[in-house]
Amino acid sequence: MKRSLSRLPLPLALAGAFALTGCGRPFDVKTAPGLVELDDQEPEYAYRAISPERVVMAVRVVDTKGRGDLEFWTRATSLRMHELDGYALLGSSDVKSRDGTPGHELRFGHDENRKPYLYVLRVFVANKRLFLVETGGPQPQMERYKGTLDWMQSTLKLD
Amino acid sequence: MKRVHLRAALFLVLLAAASSGCAGAESAGAKSPSVAANPEPPMMASPAPRPPPPAPGVAGGAGGGALLLAMNDPAKAKAVSDSPHSAAMLIYTANLSLAVFQVEPGLDAVERVARDVGGYLSSRQDNSITIRVPRDRFDDTIGRIEKLGDVTHRDIKAQDVTDEFVDLQARLKNAYSIRDRLNELMSKAAVKEALEIEKELGRVTEDIERMEGKLKLLRDQMAFSTVTVTFAPVAVEQVQDSTLLAPFPWMRGLGLQSLLNVHQ
Repeated sequence: MKRSLSRLPLPLALAGAFALTGCGRPFDVKTAPGLVELDDQEPEYAYRAISPERVVMAVRVVDTKGRGDLEFWTRATSLRMHELDGYALLGSSDVKSRDGTPGHELRFGHDENRKPYLYVLRVFVANKRLFLVETGGPQPQMERYKGTLDWMQSTLKLD
Repeated sequence: MKRVHLRAALFLVLLAAASSGCAGAESAGAKSPSVAANPEPPMMASPAPRPPPPAPGVAGGAGGGALLLAMNDPAKAKAVSDSPHSAAMLIYTANLSLAVFQVEPGLDAVERVARDVGGYLSSRQDNSITIRVPRDRFDDTIGRIEKLGDVTHRDIKAQDVTDEFVDLQARLKNAYSIRDRLNELMSKAAVKEALEIEKELGRVTEDIERMEGKLKLLRDQMAFSTVTVTFAPVAVEQVQDSTLLAPFPWMRGLGLQSLLNVHQ
């Protein structure tokens, strides 16, 4: 067995190792019990996890090449959310990632099929990258999972 | 013997009135109730008023019934205005379409032109306006309006109403004669005959009012030309009303729809 592993091409072995450990992402986040991480279904998400009640947390990473600071991207994403019909800004606050990177949190309410949903967007800028941490789902479930989601957010570390 | 003469006279008058009524009925379709309600004083034997020669640059009409001339070519209009028919009774109408940057100032400007030339506003909508201007200022008005924007459509018409006008006057004169004769007979008639005469008098009076109204309308239409101007804003380049989307397509994916879209 040891012999057969040593015969694997080095790039393939590295890719497998990264896949197993979550390496290759420019961030680290823990998936709390009660949610499961999804395989890559959409290319824009670097990470996405879901609860049985359809509460979702996702992380996007955008290569900004160093353009735009935190204020710029917070304003830009906020304006984009204003363009979407029916999204109401419920509040905003300053946040920090586990490694101390400052960010902004924007909390939106939205009705889907006459049911209230919550959508929370955290914006971070680090290492010429924009990190967008999204959480969303039906309002009752979002409130029920608040502790879980807060814990997952607190584990986010940006490289 | 006298009674026999009266009956014969009544018969002849009724016959004449009947023929006049038929003629009146032919023009009934052109009646204008609002105008007929305010008839002009009778114009028994007055000659048909001859309007001033048409304004230069606009069509003249040939005799022999209504004639519509669509004048979209100024050169053609000039040629026609020099024709021997330029003294005909004409009703001028113009429809202009202009492309402008802003519609509202254009509407205001047309209204000002109407006032300047002694005309008046007839109607005004969101993007069109109709004014009435004195016939001798028609050409001047068109020229001033055309300077307000790019003319995209120009339709000028001259309708010759000479025949209609003369015919109406003749029938009106005849109707007055019949009414006078009926009044004369009424004063000599017995009760039974008086009832018939009164009925006929009512019908003749109604015809007279209708024809007077039509004549008044024609005179007004000849005295004041109608100009309708429709404005359309000049197509300008549309700026996309969207913030920051174009250079950052990933922003389209923000929101619950994408976040919660989990494949089976």
